[in-house]
Amino acid sequence: MENNKAMEDMNSIENNAKAAYVSMKNVGHKYDPRPETPMVVQGIDLDIHRHEFVAVVGPSGCGKSTLLRMVAGLLIPSHGEVSVFNLPVTEPRDDVGIVFQKANLLPWLTVRKNVLFPLKHKYGSYSASDEKRANELLEMAGLTQFADKMPDELSGGMQQRVGIIRALLLNPDILLMDEPFSALDALTREQIGFDLLDIWKKNPKTVLFITHSISEAVLLSDRILVMSKRPGTVLDLIEVDLPRPRSSKTINSPRFAELTDLIRGYIYEPNVPA
Amino acid sequence: MNPTYQPKSWLAQQANRFAPGLFFIGLVLLWELVCRFGNVPNYILPSPSAIFTAFFDVEFSRWLTHLWATLRVALMGFALSIVIAIPLSIGMMRSELMNRVFYPALIVIQSTPVVAVAPLIIVLLGTDDPSRVLITCLITFFPLVVSTTTGMLETPPEMIELSQSLRAPRYRETWQIRIPYAIPHIFSGLRVSITLAIIGAVVAEFVAAEEGLGYFIQFSTSFFKIPQAFAGLIFLSVISLLLFKSIQWIQAWFFPWSLPKKKY
Repeated sequence: MENNKAMEDMNSIENNAKAAYVSMKNVGHKYDPRPETPMVVQGIDLDIHRHEFVAVVGPSGCGKSTLLRMVAGLLIPSHGEVSVFNLPVTEPRDDVGIVFQKANLLPWLTVRKNVLFPLKHKYGSYSASDEKRANELLEMAGLTQFADKMPDELSGGMQQRVGIIRALLLNPDILLMDEPFSALDALTREQIGFDLLDIWKKNPKTVLFITHSISEAVLLSDRILVMSKRPGTVLDLIEVDLPRPRSSKTINSPRFAELTDLIRGYIYEPNVPA
Repeated sequence: MNPTYQPKSWLAQQANRFAPGLFFIGLVLLWELVCRFGNVPNYILPSPSAIFTAFFDVEFSRWLTHLWATLRVALMGFALSIVIAIPLSIGMMRSELMNRVFYPALIVIQSTPVVAVAPLIIVLLGTDDPSRVLITCLITFFPLVVSTTTGMLETPPEMIELSQSLRAPRYRETWQIRIPYAIPHIFSGLRVSITLAIIGAVVAEFVAAEEGLGYFIQFSTSFFKIPQAFAGLIFLSVISLLLFKSIQWIQAWFFPWSLPKKKY
């Protein structure tokens, strides 16, 4: 009964692709409730549609990660409201997967067991079918032959691919990525970006992607939220009208250069009151 | 041929390899020469050869009796401090109240010289194993508490966020994330503690004992059997070294991932 209702809701969302899925209304936050302390982020309004890829760019310390933690339910905003599917976020949800800055793998578990860790950690055990799912994810990420290796035997790029498929294990509808590629070298970074787009195409997710790389944001996302320096506010919300599938050719297109220039202008000439 | 890089010659390689051993042998030889030609009497500083002879003058079964007495106390005290320290650290990490209650008490215990308290413990618990085990435990458990707590608190915060985002029960956060992350720290604590355990057992034997290597050294010294005392001391150091090594072997065998990465 409950399930049917949920299915209907899902269908109606599916039909109305532009419906807000993740919604932030006038969201602001300060860690210290005293009035004289400054806000970390302020007045953020953002609606993310289902299966949309939204990137957030902004200078260091502008509260990008704070924003992500609010959607994750790890942090409750002191001002405004974050809601998913019209329900206010008050605690971490089961349909959210997080990819962290570092791959964050447990060094004492094999790659396969790391992928299965969310189940082991949440419920204490996993079934044979879960293991099958993990193997499918490993295959999708091209990591089958590394499944029984330890994380430190993998390159940084491979480790982060494990981090991504671990976040996909519980089949979340929302994927939150907190500067996931910032620890990687430039070449690996570009490749794993395309890998991510490939994974996203095969498993459509609503993605919130935090990055401080402007070109990465333009290359990957549907829309980009540009944030000011602290206290972080919305400077612009940019529609990325580059055709998909994106490839290394996308980077050479004039429109790509225009978009990156536009954002670079915001970052380097911040028209916000100091 | 790269002119800036030259492989070391065979001789240089061998010298490099055997240098620590050669240094040790040289030191022992020097000691022997000083004793022989400096006319140092045996009851002041016995020569290595005299110590060697003294070692075999003592019956092997007597060595084993003394060794077992010391080892038994050291290992029991060490085990007891593991059993106390690790659950205590987990408790202090998880509960602010427990931390506030126990932390000052731990500092007080640690700042009290156990050597000075040892006679009082003997008065309190008698001259048998329990008092010696308690003395050993008091000396060994503080490094374990510190290392376990440090290790658990140094778990990457993102790992804890992963646990929170899954809404996993807290005991699994402790058991599946924090404790494994603390393993390298716990083992460095264990390495310190195991050598302290031998010291603890010897201190206890100095105060009250009828057997054990510490007792043997004290007893030999009081009868001016200095070479024999030196033999006991060297035996004790070797045992201590072996215990230290075995902690490393246990870590390498059961937790190979926790060792620092080898540089090639």
